[in-house]
Amino acid sequence: MNANVNEKWDMEFDVVVVGWGSAGTAAAVTVHDRGAKVLIIEKMPDGGGNTRICGGNIIIPKGREFIEYLDTLSFKTTEREIIETFVEHALKNGDWIREMGGDVQVFTPLEVAYPTMLAGAGFPHVRGAETVVKYNIKGTLQEGKPSQRLWKFLSGLVEKRRIEVLTLTPAKELIPNAQGEVIGVMAEREGKTISIKARRAVILTCGGFENDPMLKWDYMPVKPLMFLGTPGNTGDGIRMAQKIGGDLWHMTRLSCLIGFQAPGFEAAFWVSFLSEGFIFVDKYGRRFVNEAGIEIHEYYRELSHFEVEKMEFPRIPLWAIFDEQTRRRGALSRGTAGYNRDLYTWSLDNSVEIEKGWILKGKTATELASKISVDPRVLEETISRYNQYCQAGKDKDFDRPKEDLRALEPPLYAIQLWPALINTQGGPRRDKESRVLGPEGKPIPRLYAAGELGSIWGFLYQGACNIGEALVFGRIAGRNAAAEKPWS
Amino acid sequence: MVVISSMMGPGIGEKDFVVEASRERVWRLIGKVIFSSLPGMEQVEILDENNFRALLRMKVLWVQLSAKLKGEMVDMAPPENFSVNLALEGLGGLLKMKQKVTFTVIPAEKGKTAVNCKATAEKMGILFRALLLGQAQRFARATFEAIEKRLKELA
Repeated sequence: MNANVNEKWDMEFDVVVVGWGSAGTAAAVTVHDRGAKVLIIEKMPDGGGNTRICGGNIIIPKGREFIEYLDTLSFKTTEREIIETFVEHALKNGDWIREMGGDVQVFTPLEVAYPTMLAGAGFPHVRGAETVVKYNIKGTLQEGKPSQRLWKFLSGLVEKRRIEVLTLTPAKELIPNAQGEVIGVMAEREGKTISIKARRAVILTCGGFENDPMLKWDYMPVKPLMFLGTPGNTGDGIRMAQKIGGDLWHMTRLSCLIGFQAPGFEAAFWVSFLSEGFIFVDKYGRRFVNEAGIEIHEYYRELSHFEVEKMEFPRIPLWAIFDEQTRRRGALSRGTAGYNRDLYTWSLDNSVEIEKGWILKGKTATELASKISVDPRVLEETISRYNQYCQAGKDKDFDRPKEDLRALEPPLYAIQLWPALINTQGGPRRDKESRVLGPEGKPIPRLYAAGELGSIWGFLYQGACNIGEALVFGRIAGRNAAAEKPWS
Repeated sequence: MVVISSMMGPGIGEKDFVVEASRERVWRLIGKVIFSSLPGMEQVEILDENNFRALLRMKVLWVQLSAKLKGEMVDMAPPENFSVNLALEGLGGLLKMKQKVTFTVIPAEKGKTAVNCKATAEKMGILFRALLLGQAQRFARATFEAIEKRLKELA
């Protein structure tokens, strides 16, 4: 719609921020602190989005060599000046958090899980990798997991400033005027459509499309994809931006782990192992990868193999096969991150999940194969071959390091796993000033975006960069939006 | 060499060995090696970056016991040393012990690395001292030997 500037508005602010996660918070706080009146609207009952349920780490690089690292990882999908801008501001992420009354501590995980969440660079061989340092909000175990501490800190900034937040208020349309400037937002609240005037600008920070089946099927390189994050991310910002001429970028990019899709749960459970005694096999019972060597955010790359003759992805779903020691060692899903974290507590020895039928047991490989509909001869051969490699200390097929090899001993277990999105990276194309661009590269006046919606991560993803980027471009969007001259 | 300290002192066990690998490789391996070398450790919960808890199954005088184990990583100084504070509690709280296990990784000649593992009791109930000190010493010895064996295999 084009707005008649004389029509009545239900609400009026300088800047309207659509979506309340880390990017929305950084943007709104910056706008507020520059003296402009800001409103946040959020479709879900609470704020936080994926921020509240992610790993909670924030990138604060320790030098400008990080530019080279990210430039290599981007594979020329993001302009270098955008990466440079990001790094210049990411270097100050810690300062910003301290200015806001918080503090950070270096992330030093117990790297004992398979796959593990690494303290440092996901791609340590790339130039500049040594500059990768992840932090999280300083605090103790009693104060919550890192993402809980992060969201407590961020939401506290909004509360402290008494920034107005309307939850359960999904944005539906951006309102441009005759000149193409974005001057407001149409939203739904309590069953009614409301129009909200934005005198200076609108900032979109409403996340990706992890929970939009059509967008996922169309753009994602592996199918089907489950999701681990918030069900609230349904591509709303993408459609709103497209409708007023926004260009899109990075739509095929994703950050993707592996997860178990339990009956009755919207989101999948992130699965990893606390012992070396496991392998992955495809739906035919064949190993296909060094299971211990997958960068956790890039799992889908190993699963995206498509067999044209059979017209299928043979590794989707895959089966994790593990033994008794691994079963007893610890829960396969441990609530580190993900939407189900607060909805279900996985049993420590996985026994409840065996009773539920989520994990299948076989006294032998043959018995297990029959339960997972795999040719018993193939699975037996796979396990026997793998065990021989363990005894020899060399995995001749996939070069799994010898420290990660341990022969599987019956009884054996299997759990079905799917590629499971943490988040998508695509959305409206933007520039280094967080301005949303049209197809010809020109900014759409008074429209900004930040965070997971059209993030700058266009090829390989370095962990902790989504939150780092949300804070950086949220601040930039807020600064520029607050500096716009009011149109009325 | 394994040294079991005097019963009167706070030492539970200490072991020194040399691994034919660089300090960086030993440091990269040591966390996973320790984790996989702890016999009878089950139901592990990674509570946060520095804390875990688990169930420890052990045999004492032919009786299978399980004890609650809490661990906290402290004094982390990569790639040279770190310590784990361990608290063990069993038999409904009757058996209690706190110990600190320190791992030191130092470069040795010709690209090799010297590793020192040391377990020191910090707090030990009377019942634990009477019944389980010997068991704790055997456990420390078995664990340190398993760590040595595994590190040497992987070097």
